[in-house]
Amino acid sequence: MRPLDLTEKDPSRRITIYFEGKPYEAYEGEKFPVAMLANGVYWLTTSTEGRKRGAFTFGPVPVKVNGVKNVNGRKLKLRDGMRIERQTYDEFQEQVEIDEDKPLLRYVVDVAVIGAGPAGLGVVEDIGGKLTVALIEEKDWLGGDMWLKGVEQEGFGNPREAIEKLTNFPENVRVFLKTTALGVFDKGEYFLVPAVRNDQLIEFMAKRVVLATGSVDSIMLFENNDYPGVFRRSDALEVINVWGVAPGRKVAVVGAFPEEITAELDRWGIDYIVVPNPKRVEGTDKVERLIDENGNVYEVDAVIMADGRIPDINPVTQTGGRLYFKRGYYRPVIDSNHRIRDGIYVAGSAVSIKPHHANYIEGKLVGAHILREFGFDAEPCIYEEKLKEYEPVARPIPKLPLEGLNAEDVQLCGCGVTLKKVDDVVRSGITDLQIIKRLTHLAMGFCQGRFCLFNGALLVSQRSGTPMDRLDIPVARPPIKNVKMKVVAGRE
Amino acid sequence: MPTRNLPEKSEITVIGGGIVGVTIAHELAKRGEEVTVIEKRFIGSGSTFRCGTGIRQQFNDEANVQVMKRSVELWKRYSEEYGFPFSQTGYLFLLYDDEEVETFKRNIAIQNKFGVPTRLITPEEAKEIVPLLDISEVVAASWNPTDGKASPFHSTAAFALHAEEFGAKLVEYTEVKDFIIENGEIKGLKTSGGVIKTGIVINATNAWAKLINAMAGIRTKIPIEPYKHQAVITQPIKKGSVKPMVISFKYGHAYLTQTSHGGIIGGVGYELGPTYDLNPTYEFMREVSYYFTKIIPALRELLILRTWAGHYAKTPDSNPAIGKIEELSDYYIAAGFSGHGFMMAPAVAEMVSDLVTKGKTDLPVEWYDPYRFERGELRGQALQMG
Repeated sequence: MRPLDLTEKDPSRRITIYFEGKPYEAYEGEKFPVAMLANGVYWLTTSTEGRKRGAFTFGPVPVKVNGVKNVNGRKLKLRDGMRIERQTYDEFQEQVEIDEDKPLLRYVVDVAVIGAGPAGLGVVEDIGGKLTVALIEEKDWLGGDMWLKGVEQEGFGNPREAIEKLTNFPENVRVFLKTTALGVFDKGEYFLVPAVRNDQLIEFMAKRVVLATGSVDSIMLFENNDYPGVFRRSDALEVINVWGVAPGRKVAVVGAFPEEITAELDRWGIDYIVVPNPKRVEGTDKVERLIDENGNVYEVDAVIMADGRIPDINPVTQTGGRLYFKRGYYRPVIDSNHRIRDGIYVAGSAVSIKPHHANYIEGKLVGAHILREFGFDAEPCIYEEKLKEYEPVARPIPKLPLEGLNAEDVQLCGCGVTLKKVDDVVRSGITDLQIIKRLTHLAMGFCQGRFCLFNGALLVSQRSGTPMDRLDIPVARPPIKNVKMKVVAGRE
Repeated sequence: MPTRNLPEKSEITVIGGGIVGVTIAHELAKRGEEVTVIEKRFIGSGSTFRCGTGIRQQFNDEANVQVMKRSVELWKRYSEEYGFPFSQTGYLFLLYDDEEVETFKRNIAIQNKFGVPTRLITPEEAKEIVPLLDISEVVAASWNPTDGKASPFHSTAAFALHAEEFGAKLVEYTEVKDFIIENGEIKGLKTSGGVIKTGIVINATNAWAKLINAMAGIRTKIPIEPYKHQAVITQPIKKGSVKPMVISFKYGHAYLTQTSHGGIIGGVGYELGPTYDLNPTYEFMREVSYYFTKIIPALRELLILRTWAGHYAKTPDSNPAIGKIEELSDYYIAAGFSGHGFMMAPAVAEMVSDLVTKGKTDLPVEWYDPYRFERGELRGQALQMG
């Protein structure tokens, strides 16, 4: 077993890869960051500003693979003998192979469901068998965030068994895993949802679209919060429960919602401490210690941010939905049929943060509304009533620790936008988020604000006294997830 | 700082807080005039912050060459004085056949006549300037190293800040609703933020100019229509990878360059409209990727971060309407820039300020005569890309 392996892996799949010239034990098909983590290596790439970065917080993870630069290390699946090296963000491949453009794939369906978490699966459970469905999921598993859980979930019991039950699809449901939707576009009677799977462009034409696109983990602001060894809650869950690798030998859990990860750590016997008020992490190539606001020093080799989740608003705003602010986060304005506008529905934690089972019921509610639209009998009000039993999570609006922090070491976003850079603009008197975005590049990089816009808004609100619901929140533009130019460059 | 509070009165009011309105206010305030800008959203929000960042003197007629030469001088001066990014990294037009070369030779002669140092270069020289180019089909290139690009965000913010220092007022999130006119004289404007007393109004609303003209009751035919143009930006790459603005008419009327932040930015001649809609389209993402990767194959492996749309406020000859409209006193227009507003703004500000304060200007403003449409005296099509 490798230093951080939690489970025995299939020895027939054992391979050797080389990182920075050194051999490491890995398994065929394993993700590159997971294999390196298992071997205790956290630093995988370097930002343009020269900051060391791992794969479990924010920012892209470009690496050189067998001499080819700018390969997405986060999604890289390993094969025997691969030679991988670090690079900086701005390095790119100047000489490229002009491979044949892959022919376009096109599917025409009644409903495109984007996101296969409990909400998306709830929708499909209702409408599958009656309508043709394309279920589009970016990850390589069904069940979304719930698939990452090991402990029992309210209303579902064992999460994996529940998901397996929900994924016996009828014939008219086509599942597209590892498929990233790029946006939703109006095309008369249809909506066009272009998507990419393994550099292959796919066009889905759908009469109705469901955004079951989920939430993102809140990024906490402390010094060196981008350091290798800092984990988002969801990434920590994935390495533990999907890949059987521990985030570290001794872990600190920070943030307002530690219980969202500690039960899982307990289950595997991973040693952890809960630190509510982190100020700084330090170390040479990875986290070695965490210092809190009271000056306590904790020797740890990983830090997991469990500060709650917020709806991913980018698919909503790209599609033309409006937002309001309630319970501590921005969420879509929906009509009585759970639509953000004609033909486009939204369900699950894209609407509000609540337990998996509530998201599933909300999916079924949306499914019932869609069935009615297509002339089938359905009772949305049953699900409406059930859903009322769940009060969405209220996330306390964090007070940003603006005093006493070295704001130059605090990353507001993974693209080199520090807390200081934005705060300097805000303190110069510019408090329009639209202008701040353009002057600092906040929300204009790889994640298009998915991880950084909320904290930017919070900073403006806190400095200017403008309530969060009065801020002019920039909308997301297509593509809602980055896509290589060659994928969309082909011509029929 | 821009405010949301409308002053009670202002000698001069500029409607529209894009780069043109802001630089006009800057220039007038610098000359000691009392001036207020009214912007319906935030400064730069209309077309300026959506523009392709390019600033060129390579035009195909004497007026635009002279005006852009002056504009570049002003860009240079103010970027140094105010400290915003403007770089003279040149414009490189890739030419693919003899006919194109002949056309550009004529353009170069006009440019050289006014001291703009454009010259024809070989494909190999073009590749030295941008090593990433695919020159396999290129036969020559038109190269002017003194053209350039600027950050629309930092430049507009700097002009706005200094306009305010000279005493101009910038009012945001305020929409002009009507004119108050007595006996053919402007007395004031009704806005969403109340009434402002004013005697001189400058319509700098570009894509929205026809709406303001109608509001003012102008009968002179000044055809300006909003067309949707889109742009793309890729992930940032090593600085200096694509220094100049690269233009290819063969490949989709494409323009592309690298921003000071490192991303490759640009667009193609994919036009929709007239429309006020600004939703980016999937078809654009495909078109721009097809053409860009023909010009620079290495872009194939770069990630598209974002696309967006803005307006080209187009006139029939792609030249703006700049001047005084005589049927109302005192009403000026500087609009219809057809995709050239950002680059022209500092010179336009000078021309308009001259007209307002002196009634004349040394720059060839007649070329942009707003009455030319009514008289049927269209100019030659201004060289447009994207």
